[in-house]
Amino acid sequence: MALQETKIDLLKDLKIEEVPEFISLDAMSIGETRYLKDLRINLKNTLASENLSAKEAYLLALAVAVNEKNRILIGSFTELAKENGATEAEIAETHACSSMLAVNNVFYRFRHFAKSETYNNMPAGIKMNVMMNPVLGKEFFELLSLAVSAVNGCETCVGSHESSLRKLGTSESRIFDSIRLASVVRGLSIAIY
Amino acid sequence: MLTVGQKFPEFKKKAVVSIEKGKEFQDISSDDYKNEGKWLVMFWYPKDFTFVCPTEIAEFNKNYEEFRDRDAHLVAASTDSEFVHLAWRKHHDDLSALKFPMLADTSKSLAEELGILEKEEKIAYRATFIVDPHGIIRFVSVNDLSVGRNVKEVLRVLDALQTDELCPCNWQKGQETLKV
Repeated sequence: MALQETKIDLLKDLKIEEVPEFISLDAMSIGETRYLKDLRINLKNTLASENLSAKEAYLLALAVAVNEKNRILIGSFTELAKENGATEAEIAETHACSSMLAVNNVFYRFRHFAKSETYNNMPAGIKMNVMMNPVLGKEFFELLSLAVSAVNGCETCVGSHESSLRKLGTSESRIFDSIRLASVVRGLSIAIY
Repeated sequence: MLTVGQKFPEFKKKAVVSIEKGKEFQDISSDDYKNEGKWLVMFWYPKDFTFVCPTEIAEFNKNYEEFRDRDAHLVAASTDSEFVHLAWRKHHDDLSALKFPMLADTSKSLAEELGILEKEEKIAYRATFIVDPHGIIRFVSVNDLSVGRNVKEVLRVLDALQTDELCPCNWQKGQETLKV
């Protein structure tokens, strides 16, 4: 019973209407796994990071939801980000960032895997103008890029975005909290879809 | 005053659990949470029908689900009787829908054992106890009569006390192997 309540509260936190069937979420609540409690606590705690504003936290969650192509969570985090002051332009750029990173994560991961100077020296020939003057600001765009790269498992991308954030003066705790949030949202996207 | 590492006293007390007629009272005891393997968060306040208390109690109520998800029984307590508790709950809008029991330590025996009775009036200080499923006190805080509490801080402490990161991925050389 308690797990059913946790499920309902989790959906309420996310402003998601209960639909007839959430395959994994329903299985977890019917079979009463206590993981649902962990999930809800982790989500609330990571969203409430002192090192991220509410708007930033929801945009970061949105970037991961977009990366996961999770329509329900995209809707939820868009609404929550807007409620906390995100503009249409910032929402658009968050989607753009995830799409751009989907390109880069594959591309740079290939270079990293292949370990060949030849590929490193060949021009990428991929436009990345979106990274030039982001409306989200350089630092936050980098932070989104780092989080999405961590989700997608590109070592080169994680390394370079992390070091450029450190050069921009971003604290390690802000970086760490962003990754905690991204990890939890990735888990969330496997519970609610 | 009892402190961290000590055993929380055994108790069995009347409590107000509802304002619905016929369902107002219930006995609650230290066995309730232990038998379920749950944590106990018991917060004390000086008196019913005062000003700081309802705000604070309402704040705990707002966060009831957070305590539930952390497997913790939440209990409010004062030295007022169960009848005064009930009257206060009926009288105050913020308290009508409380989701946790209000314990009546009418004999003051529990407050006495805990060592949280104010000397002059013999009412309880604003003490908060977090007790683990084995009945051991893991956190205590006590405020003077007029100082309210921060519920978020209580949750933060509870999170910190409850084990996290049980994944063997976090195992570092030299550490004991994982035992859950």
